[in-house]
Amino acid sequence: MSKKIKKITIFSGINKFGKKENFNKIEIKSGETIAVVGPTGAGKSQFLYDLERLAQADTKSKRKILLNDKIPDKEWKIDPKKKLIASLAQSMNFLTDLPVEDFLKLHIQARGKVANQNLIKEVIDEANQITGEPINLEMNLLDLSGGQSRALMISDLANISISPIILIDEIENAGIKKEQAIKILVEEGKIVLIATHDPSLALNTDKRIVINNGGVVKIIKTTLKERGIAHYLNWIENSTLEVREEIRQGKRIKDIKLFCEKI
Amino acid sequence: MKLIVFAGTPGSGKTSLIRYVIQELKPDFKLFFAKFDCLRTNDEKNIAEKYGIPTVKKLAGELCPDHYTALELPKIIQENQDKDIILIETAGLCLRCSPYVNEGLGINVLDITSGHPNRYGPILTDADIVAISKGDLISQAEREIFRYNILEVNQGCNIVEVNGLTGEGAVDIAKYIKNAVDMDGKKLTLKHSMPSAICGYCYGNKIINDKAVHARYLKGKELKSLVPNLNCGKCGFKSCNEFIRAVLDNKIKKEKCPFIKIK
Repeated sequence: MSKKIKKITIFSGINKFGKKENFNKIEIKSGETIAVVGPTGAGKSQFLYDLERLAQADTKSKRKILLNDKIPDKEWKIDPKKKLIASLAQSMNFLTDLPVEDFLKLHIQARGKVANQNLIKEVIDEANQITGEPINLEMNLLDLSGGQSRALMISDLANISISPIILIDEIENAGIKKEQAIKILVEEGKIVLIATHDPSLALNTDKRIVINNGGVVKIIKTTLKERGIAHYLNWIENSTLEVREEIRQGKRIKDIKLFCEKI
Repeated sequence: MKLIVFAGTPGSGKTSLIRYVIQELKPDFKLFFAKFDCLRTNDEKNIAEKYGIPTVKKLAGELCPDHYTALELPKIIQENQDKDIILIETAGLCLRCSPYVNEGLGINVLDITSGHPNRYGPILTDADIVAISKGDLISQAEREIFRYNILEVNQGCNIVEVNGLTGEGAVDIAKYIKNAVDMDGKKLTLKHSMPSAICGYCYGNKIINDKAVHARYLKGKELKSLVPNLNCGKCGFKSCNEFIRAVLDNKIKKEKCPFIKIK
């Protein structure tokens, strides 16, 4: 059902001072993961917002977005069944008082599809690859921990929302395996943009777009070395996650791995 | 002249959204803003100071605030003939009334954390535009389910996701306002009738379970089912509700309504 998006093109706009941004156009191809970095308040969220609403020089930044070299259809923005862009925001929670299974069925229905057991199982399985605390179908959504909620949202995005473009506004501090989470999202050939301060996420991408004072100032291609550093940082975080799980389960922590086995 | 009515429960983000909408519209249009509330508000002053547009405060006091809005609308329009757009913010206490008019645009600001859309009455079901606020607090999946549920109760509406903190969505709301029909010279009519005032408590009775109040309500309810609700005026009253009240007050016989006579 998802429309094939091969390319997003972003034409430059203006920064907070009304000056033209430091690029003419940015092209992002399907399967690419891009980090959006910069100080707090620099305009990262605005950049994602321009993409989400497929801006046509009608937002503060005056940026223009093309999909597959064309001005996007209006209905893509409005109809949830055709929604091209899905997003994960900073402070999201579940509010629905329902078991996980019933909730997933509802969402599949809202997406205009027929709920089937295989799809639901896949959502849970992939979510459980991201979180250390397993989720099952009978759990109530409201009882999920922060990490479980995040994991379920991400897996839902990858498997049910199937929008070809995914925007993530901060994902850190959530108690999830981030590298695995990004892998699940990108596997489906999607375009993923992450606004982040997290070094292991920012370096585990194809490019990073640097924003300051409301405008793009630089586009940096990630080097192989940077990717290695990202992998190492991730390894540290995942071992922290393991220790955290052991503490939760009442175990004694006897030792800590000091070196990453594989880079 | 365009008449725009914003309705929505307290705290849903009406005022925050209106601020951003004013910023969008101000360069091209002459605006007027009227804030309705029950007991107190300072919004009209803050908006006048910040955006330099004329505003007014209207406090309903003892009156039902939506009824009061309808009572005051003609006066506001009369006094602002030189304006392009009149923005009305209702007190937003009642899901039953909501003074949307057929000759203007009705915008319901709906807090996504406030429960299932099927619990709302005319405030949602009669809105031309539903502005969903606080979407960044919950998951993408629930946002999609929420949209789906809104369309179940109001198929014809346009849905915009807004954020009162960042101003997200205000551009789209402003666009709908620019494209709204002009009301010039037209007689204003409510989209949905206000309650019938057939119950004794509408008249200020404070004794609960008082037999006379109950009897009046039952008789009023029966009359409501007999009259055609066409407000044809053949009985000599402007509306069927006024006629019912006159019958209940023993001022007129119910057979004065030609439709009841036929039965």
